Amino acid sequence: MSDNHAESIVALLNVSKGFMRDKLEIPVLTNTTLHIPKGDFVAVMGPSGSGKSTLLNLCAGLDRPTTGKVIVNGQDLGELSEARLSKWRSENLGFIFQMYNLMPVLSAQENVELPLMLTPLSRAERRKHAEASLRIVGLSDRADHYPRQLSGGQEQRVAIARALANDPVLLLADEPTGNLDATSAQEVLDLLESLNEQFGVTIIMVTHDPKAARRAKRLLHLEKGSFVQADIEALETSLRGVAR
Amino acid sequence: MKYLPLILRNVTRNKIRSIFTGSSIAVSLFLVVMLYSFLSVQDANNEASKVHNRIIAMNVQGLTGDVPIAYVDRIRKIEGVRYAVPYSWYGGMYKDDKITFGQFGTDANSIMNVLEEYKLAPEQLAAWKADKTGCVVGSILARNKGWKLGDKVPLKGDIYPVNLEFTVRGIYEGSSSTDREMLWFHFSYLDDSLKEINAPTAGNAGIVMLNAESADIMPDLMKKIDSTFASSDAPVRAMTEKQFQQSFMEMMGNVRGFIRYTSIAVVVALLCVAANTMAMALRERTREIALFKAIGFPQSTILGLFLSEAVAIGLLGGVFGALGAKLLFEVVDFSKWVPGLGWLYVPWSTALAGVALATAIGLVSGIYPAWRAANVSVVEGLRKIV
Repeated sequence: MSDNHAESIVALLNVSKGFMRDKLEIPVLTNTTLHIPKGDFVAVMGPSGSGKSTLLNLCAGLDRPTTGKVIVNGQDLGELSEARLSKWRSENLGFIFQMYNLMPVLSAQENVELPLMLTPLSRAERRKHAEASLRIVGLSDRADHYPRQLSGGQEQRVAIARALANDPVLLLADEPTGNLDATSAQEVLDLLESLNEQFGVTIIMVTHDPKAARRAKRLLHLEKGSFVQADIEALETSLRGVAR
Repeated sequence: MKYLPLILRNVTRNKIRSIFTGSSIAVSLFLVVMLYSFLSVQDANNEASKVHNRIIAMNVQGLTGDVPIAYVDRIRKIEGVRYAVPYSWYGGMYKDDKITFGQFGTDANSIMNVLEEYKLAPEQLAAWKADKTGCVVGSILARNKGWKLGDKVPLKGDIYPVNLEFTVRGIYEGSSSTDREMLWFHFSYLDDSLKEINAPTAGNAGIVMLNAESADIMPDLMKKIDSTFASSDAPVRAMTEKQFQQSFMEMMGNVRGFIRYTSIAVVVALLCVAANTMAMALRERTREIALFKAIGFPQSTILGLFLSEAVAIGLLGGVFGALGAKLLFEVVDFSKWVPGLGWLYVPWSTALAGVALATAIGLVSGIYPAWRAANVSVVEGLRKIV
């Protein structure tokens, strides 16, 4: 992996992260260095407890490393206060979660508008942006529907539209297909793929699903807090093995 | 303002819970506002009565003691007294009534000069003066009882051992804050009836009510009245009408304190109810709060959203409770069911204070849950999501 983090959208430099459990420090990431260039689509796999979600949290500035630096879009996140980190997240990141996390009291359109409420955009402008995002995910006709009126796949597409609404430089997806049936999962992955290819959105996707990981340009495999060698070809081989 | 739709959606997302919480606040505020209106209207009336320069002379033993009727004439002769009348509570029961209403034996020649805020048509006053068994009734009392001029009103003596039957000769009016549920009759009718049976209370009035020529002479005038009867068998104590009203209230116990402490208890109970509602909302929405923080909502905004939600619930309860009480007292005449409440109304100041109190309850109840919400750990919250 390259040492030149100037060209990277995400750079983790000698990052370690541990959690205290009953006075014992449990290491999750150990002296990890990672560079993700702009426009990349990275799948992060690994067994439970390997540090996948911690990696996402660090990239999002939701958690701080015990040692090392996290630099995203040229900003050293360690230099930012909590308040400035919030603002930075609202301007740079988009989130997609396994459970969609849509506000049940808001319509699809209003859910997509949510991150835009932090911007100086007028109500009309917010609506316009949200409509554009919903158009991208193919749900213009469901703008007025509430989450309970949508299928799981549609809910996740609304969540993706919400993540895109503020035009983020980085999309962080935590098990985006984990709660979906095969068809809906394919639709969501198609969407992520096209966002990456057509709009150049950088995506880091944590997944347990090799089929989902295969859609990424690059595969990172975390084990016991460190990246181990893995590539799509190896994954393909593994998948073929599963297929037989 | 852009967050208002979101706040309102959250307030109504669990409708049953919001309705119950809002109703608790509304019902409690209704009661508190009503109780405080009782005090504030009394205070207002007491203040308003100052302009009439009225003095009450009562037995030093209080209302349990009598004032010899001869004192009325002696008081009239004291310099500075405009008019003086006997004023005796009869307390008779009308037909099957369970609660009595105000019935006072007085002097028809002067009572309208002493209680000058009430209005009685001159021909009705003349008719009353001419009829020893005649009486004058307040317009609300007449309406509630269905009485009209010429009707007979039999009252069964309770305090006094005589039954009296009156003929309605007049119906008096007054402003909305005045008591229009009283019945005035000739003191002499009661006194003569008592003399006929040799009752020991004959020849005595309950109190003497008078008005002074001006406010500045009232302190001296009260001293003069006290000293005039100081060495008699029935010494009296003179006091302003306001002092009399206060001492009358004190006879019923510390009503003001009772209302105040009851209201405090109600407010504390409401705080607990409202805080519990917000705490439940917080527990249910930890994931959503984590999401808000993850996508960049600052702590201050989350704090504001939660506090606004709590305030909105309190405000809704206050509007329904306090303004509802105001509206209800404007529309419904409670004196039909509770005699003596005809004068009670909810002043705007009390109703708006009730709304403000409910809003404050919402705000205070929301502080801790809102603070907790603003400090939800995003990582912990998101862990619940995955």
